[in-house]
Amino acid sequence: MKFLKLLGWILLAVFTVFSVLGGIFLLSKGFYELSITLFVLIFLIDFFIMNRKTYPYRYMIPALILLFILVLYPIAFTIRTAFTNYGTGHIMTRQEVVERLLVDPIYTYNVEDGKTYSYNVYVKYNGTQPTTDFKVIVYDGDESYVANDYKVLKSEAGELILGESELVRLNESELRFERENDRIEIVREGNDLFKYFYSPEDSSTAINEDFFKYSILFPTLSKVEFVDTLSNRYSIRQDEEGKFTFSQIRHMYKLGLAETVENGKSVVKTVIINTMTNKPLIEENGTIYDTSENGERYAVAGYISNYGVKNFTKIFTDPAISGPFTKIFIWNFIWAALSVLFTFVIGMILALVLNDPNLHGKTIYRSLLIIPWAIPAFISVLVWKNGFFNETYGIINKFIISQLFGGTPVKWMNDPFWAKVAVLTVNTWLGFPYMMVVTLGALQSIPQDYYEAASIDGASKWQRFWKITFPLLMTTVAPLLVGSFAFNFNNFGNIYLLTGGGPAMPNTNTPAGSTDILISYTYKLAFEGGRGQDFGFASAISIIIFFIVGGLSFINFRLSGSFEEVNR
Amino acid sequence: MRKFLTVALAVLFVFMAFGATKKITVWTSEAQVPILKKLADQYKAKYGVQVDIVQVNFGDIKSKFLTAAPAGEGPDIIVGAHDWTGELVVNGLLEPINLPEKDKYFPAPLQGFTYNGKLYGIPYAFDGEALIYNKDYVSTPPKTFDELIALAKKIEKDYGGEVRGFTYDFKNFYNSSFALFAYGGYIFGTDKSGKINVKDVGLANAGSIQGMKFLKNLVDQKLLQSGDNYNTMDGLFKDGLAAMILNGPWAVPGYKQAGINFDVAPIPTLPGDKDPRPFFGAQGFMVNAKSKNKLFAMDFLTKFIATKDVMYQIWQSDPRCPSRKDVNELVMAKDPLTKKFADFLGNYGIPMPNVPEMAAVWGAMGDTLAKVLDQGVAPEKALADAVAQIKAQIK
Repeated sequence: MKFLKLLGWILLAVFTVFSVLGGIFLLSKGFYELSITLFVLIFLIDFFIMNRKTYPYRYMIPALILLFILVLYPIAFTIRTAFTNYGTGHIMTRQEVVERLLVDPIYTYNVEDGKTYSYNVYVKYNGTQPTTDFKVIVYDGDESYVANDYKVLKSEAGELILGESELVRLNESELRFERENDRIEIVREGNDLFKYFYSPEDSSTAINEDFFKYSILFPTLSKVEFVDTLSNRYSIRQDEEGKFTFSQIRHMYKLGLAETVENGKSVVKTVIINTMTNKPLIEENGTIYDTSENGERYAVAGYISNYGVKNFTKIFTDPAISGPFTKIFIWNFIWAALSVLFTFVIGMILALVLNDPNLHGKTIYRSLLIIPWAIPAFISVLVWKNGFFNETYGIINKFIISQLFGGTPVKWMNDPFWAKVAVLTVNTWLGFPYMMVVTLGALQSIPQDYYEAASIDGASKWQRFWKITFPLLMTTVAPLLVGSFAFNFNNFGNIYLLTGGGPAMPNTNTPAGSTDILISYTYKLAFEGGRGQDFGFASAISIIIFFIVGGLSFINFRLSGSFEEVNR
Repeated sequence: MRKFLTVALAVLFVFMAFGATKKITVWTSEAQVPILKKLADQYKAKYGVQVDIVQVNFGDIKSKFLTAAPAGEGPDIIVGAHDWTGELVVNGLLEPINLPEKDKYFPAPLQGFTYNGKLYGIPYAFDGEALIYNKDYVSTPPKTFDELIALAKKIEKDYGGEVRGFTYDFKNFYNSSFALFAYGGYIFGTDKSGKINVKDVGLANAGSIQGMKFLKNLVDQKLLQSGDNYNTMDGLFKDGLAAMILNGPWAVPGYKQAGINFDVAPIPTLPGDKDPRPFFGAQGFMVNAKSKNKLFAMDFLTKFIATKDVMYQIWQSDPRCPSRKDVNELVMAKDPLTKKFADFLGNYGIPMPNVPEMAAVWGAMGDTLAKVLDQGVAPEKALADAVAQIKAQIK
């Protein structure tokens, strides 16, 4: 027993250590909220377990963690995103983007008429095996330089991103060189000895090219920039023909000070400067613009920037978004209300029939009636779409309307009214089994005595239903109806799969369709329009939808008195 | 203790550094996995660099890449469609590629992977739609749409309406764009330097309107019916109940399997002797700009993938029109159907614009096609609305 207890303490200690390490890792990566929450959780977990008085709370821990992961964090993240322009072209932080402009080799260029050198690579051997310890000597005619060991300027997870190395004249270097036939064959540094290994111009070293490339150049040497005494920069880059040459480069962007006018005052700020045109880059709404030689602005990069409440104001002020908002909202309300009404009425009628003691084969009927619920919705919706509502080949148009009744085919997908009928039909079909099952359960709990008493008093079937069954049913089912309303209000899948929100509303500049509900319209605006993805805007609009659904549900609960029983 | 921790951390870093630099990861969809695995083994045996081939559903590659790459956890190489280029580039996630032997490729697929004048992908294949006809009903494919209309009507009459003369998924802009472009419509204009100018939308110009009227005529003649979509077309053709359809090389294996006696021909010329200009898409390899092994990835692609032999092997496992001309010639002798697609699309095809602003175009134009062809809205009005909608979204 004691052993088990000890084991428990050890496990707790290990858990704490790892979690704290995880928290530090998150902190170092810039996830401040997550790491702080993690620390709070670790503290609570340890506290609940160690403290005798808080014994019962330890059973709350799993719920607490799940609540955080599945509810609180997504909500916090959504709220935070709603105030940014996170989306296509703005998916990295400013720091990352600026660093890339300053560091990445694609933002460097070869200097025209710049100097190029030939280079020789010397490698330390381990027995007969070459190692990745190397020295580079560059030369142009009589001028020769040796590159000092590089300093790491930037690294990530232990990997070199950018290094810098000084070029030193051979006679000023502390290294010793041994020549043979005018070529340096051996470089000595203290006790270490580097042998001549590779030169792109010496075909006798071609055998070493692969080792040089895959073990020295690609992982390390290509990421090092060389600086000579005049502060010129060089790097080994692949030229047009695919050869790796040692040539002079320049960074396209550097940090510098520039005077800008802000609120009528001139301010000196740190800005990014294009070294080719000597013009500062302009930052606006999370996009960095450069200016071309003929004065045209073009976007270089974008980052996630604070957008204030623009995402929210856009919903109400931009006519391309707010135009059809009222129409969609009204239809959204009707859609949710009718879905609940139809599913409930049909489900209840079927439940009452199934509950009749005189009905035989109940189990079979019940099983059959639950099928719509059991089939994955996205399959049955597509069957409805292609098999029933197809305007040319669908069963309804082809056989029932045209052949049986000789009528004109119904434009299920192209007439706003019939499209609404179609989505409601499918949603009712998908939803009634749930209501039926719920009602069946609720019916069981109504005591039989009430009916006996009622029939003795001479109540008709109709009266018995309205005075006994229905009111008692509602006490249990009403909260579920409110829940079903909230669910259908955001029932994206059925609308999207069946009509895609279509047919398009005439006379608008928006992608709104006649069967679009708020959430499907949002999806179109945020993910199928503009430049692809706009998470900031999507978050803003989902917060608004949250308040709408929350408000409507609150009113519904109040009106139906669902919680009164509980409150008393 | 502290010393121990430092040492442990140092060892860990060394391992991470060592393990990471010598391995590159490729995300690709199913068809290319076996061949790429084989190539990866060869590359490893030769240069000691491990290449991990990871299978990801084609539809998920872009979205997963968009999530993983900014966090520095993406693959080094992805295999995907050319119209992703713009979105990925503006997100700062693609690295320009210096492709050797550029002149050995068809210009159009290369153009597809070019954004703001830089090449961001190595295309291995391209595909698009042409006329596929059932030889049991059609002996010689029609050269003009007037011939096609007459032939389709004759077939429908001969078989008492049981067989469709001509059908395709006409309310999808991808499939119907050929008519708009034939008369001089365009999506986005280009400025003098060849850059796409998203402010210049040409979908409501005279050419687009004429193309739309041409499509409307097909519907008015009852050649196309409002219930037509990809599934009905595909099903009818497989059942031998459609004589002529528009579809691409991806559908060919299915039709062969269904035992249909079919052939491929160019889409007929439109009235006024205008050549159809269908969309096509290219597939290719792209390099992650945030990869720490860019040079390894580039080396693998340029040295191993972008060669005639390898491109040919890729074609064998994923038979679409090869984007290298010399591979195309090799393939032609073995696969006349692919040749017909390639000849037609190579000459008349237009790559789908790869700018991210295309997102606004697809939905707007799909709605417009439904408005004009099903709901009887005038083409001029519907197209003007569509352009206004696209412009409002792009800003």
